[in-house]
Amino acid sequence: MSTFLEILSPSYLLFPALLGTAVLGLVCPLIGSYLILRRTVFLGLTLPQIAAAGVSFTFWLQQTGFLPQWQQGERGIGMIGSLLFTFLGMGLLGYLEQRRKGIAEGRLATAYALAGALTILFIVFNPAGQIEVLNLLKGEVIGLSKGDLRLLAAVFGLVLVGLVLFRREFLLSSFDRDLAFLLKGRQIIWDVLLYLLAGVSIAFGVILAGPLLLFGFLVLPALAARPLVNSMSSFLWLSSLLGLVMAVFGFYSSVRLDLPLGPTDVALGCCLIFLAYALSRISPRRALGLIVLSSVALWTYGCGTTKATAPLPEAKALNNETLWLAKVKNSTGLSLLLPGTNPLRSLAEMAGKISSDYRQSVMDLLRDDLRRELEQRGFRVTLPEQTDARFSAFPVEPASAGRLAREGKLSGLIFVSEILRWEADSRQFVRVSADFKLIRTSDGSVVWERRIQRPVPTPSATNLGQAYTDSVKEVVRDLFAQ
Amino acid sequence: MGQDVDAIQNARGRASKDDSLPLVSVQNVSLGYDSEPILQNVDLTIYPGDLIGLAGPNGSGKTTLFRAILGLLPILNGALSRNCPLSNFGYVPQSAALDAQFPLSTAEVVEMGAYGRVRPYEFFPAAEKRQIGEVLEQVGLRHLAAKPFFSLSGGQKQRILIARALMVKPKIMILDEPLSGVDEDSRKSISELLIQLTRLDGLAIFFSSHDIPMVRRVADRLLRVDKGKIWWEKKEMELDP
Repeated sequence: MSTFLEILSPSYLLFPALLGTAVLGLVCPLIGSYLILRRTVFLGLTLPQIAAAGVSFTFWLQQTGFLPQWQQGERGIGMIGSLLFTFLGMGLLGYLEQRRKGIAEGRLATAYALAGALTILFIVFNPAGQIEVLNLLKGEVIGLSKGDLRLLAAVFGLVLVGLVLFRREFLLSSFDRDLAFLLKGRQIIWDVLLYLLAGVSIAFGVILAGPLLLFGFLVLPALAARPLVNSMSSFLWLSSLLGLVMAVFGFYSSVRLDLPLGPTDVALGCCLIFLAYALSRISPRRALGLIVLSSVALWTYGCGTTKATAPLPEAKALNNETLWLAKVKNSTGLSLLLPGTNPLRSLAEMAGKISSDYRQSVMDLLRDDLRRELEQRGFRVTLPEQTDARFSAFPVEPASAGRLAREGKLSGLIFVSEILRWEADSRQFVRVSADFKLIRTSDGSVVWERRIQRPVPTPSATNLGQAYTDSVKEVVRDLFAQ
Repeated sequence: MGQDVDAIQNARGRASKDDSLPLVSVQNVSLGYDSEPILQNVDLTIYPGDLIGLAGPNGSGKTTLFRAILGLLPILNGALSRNCPLSNFGYVPQSAALDAQFPLSTAEVVEMGAYGRVRPYEFFPAAEKRQIGEVLEQVGLRHLAAKPFFSLSGGQKQRILIARALMVKPKIMILDEPLSGVDEDSRKSISELLIQLTRLDGLAIFFSSHDIPMVRRVADRLLRVDKGKIWWEKKEMELDP
């Protein structure tokens, strides 16, 4: 299990994703602060949805042949759609605002509903790429490559520079438009520049992080900072700092608890808002005490509760007892079958002529690799079904596994495994959560146990089958690592 | 109004109009929204050192006239000229018109008055920071520099907005209802401040109020506005014998 310090190490596998989240956490709240103060916070929700509609639209165009397949990959084409729709949406909303057509909230709500509907419709029109588009719209920041990170840093770095350079102009045109006109002339240039920076951030952020996470970073840190500050400068830096806290601790919680990053970050951001309002109601001394206590608790949560994992005992230390390797239990609710390699058999399977049993599953691969590894370590490995064909997967609960083994007259040790999650989020990672236990059959005591719960990188995989195969090898390597 | 105001009024010197150009000249101007005139035949000239009051009930067009002078509202017809750039106009809006959602300190509000002189990529100059202290001192609220602006009383907020307008280094100040929603002590201190600014600093001040007796007492010249009509009640400064 990863500790807090581990995820901060540049050698950590998901370090690029953590950096990407941190960049979003630092910069997005600055834009969100202005959206909140200008009372256009709903724009921060509507624009990401419009950007998402742009992504699904360009994929649909590509699928119908109106757009060529692009060498730069899915994200490149998605970004074009995202940028195009964001700026078209902003232009249209700006035009309607100028013409004073309807009420502002009504326009934004309509645009949000329409963009949401279009996003789904374009996905439905594009069944070939449905999963890819949905994955892109989910914006799993965890799949950020180094190239993506460089792009993210460049775009958000420019946005940050713009926000810092023109902070006085943005503040003046947001707070007192009349004074802004007297001192700086027509303030439309500052409005355009601010919304341009917001639009660029949203268009890129949606494709790299997804609408939910982006909206969370835009508004939640700023809303949490608001009750704690008495000046604009402290409001901006505290928003940014809370965004960073939300990014880092949200990321850590997501990795540690095996939760999706977007909802975890948003939930943490909402907790920060409640905490901020609670702090604002007590004296500064008590607030400081509470912050110190919270920091200690977070630090303890991050560093103090990680159990050291014991290596698998050597075969000699276990008196060379027979080791029964049970079938791997699949508790995911998914078949976890590898795609077939024979097109004729696949066609026959689709036509219902043959069952899918001929295909290997992740459970089969995992058991094969476990067996090989255990035998290399000197264990006498035997399969339970060789003595009784009725043996299926064993439960991982030690007492039940021991009892079942005794009933089947299996003496010695039994190795049980259970897959809780084996999910390819993108082609670069497979999210794995699996339990492994070595149980003494005589009394059901646990000799050794280990849980693997982490995103497993599969950088060279070009299809799902390869991603599953690579992830199994990585998990077994991790399982027996000293 | 208290005796202090009267004392300053009495000590006021004559502002010479003959040897200086008017800062603002409004001739036969009509004002309104969407081509619908609210005020017609407005004639007004503002010279350096003038203290002009604009009195009339709420909704009579006082703010409309101010917005036209500040270039925020186009005139429907007539002629309006300014002999100084708009950045020399210090504008004091009604504090209620500002959004209390903004977490601004008092010093940050005053600082905004200098934004016209500071370029985007520049650090805020030390001289301007000193100036913030000086204008806060001038309005008697230096001790409130770090306080949240929207936590101040109505009178304090008005004085801070006057300090912000002074930070602009204006030639003319336009104040929209500076005495509304403030307690009696604040009314007195703000009135004294306005008189002081014209008397000692030579600023032209044009302010509005719906409290006609108060405007009569403070202003040198009084412009009345009501029901779409505008007229001078006191056109020339009345000097004590």
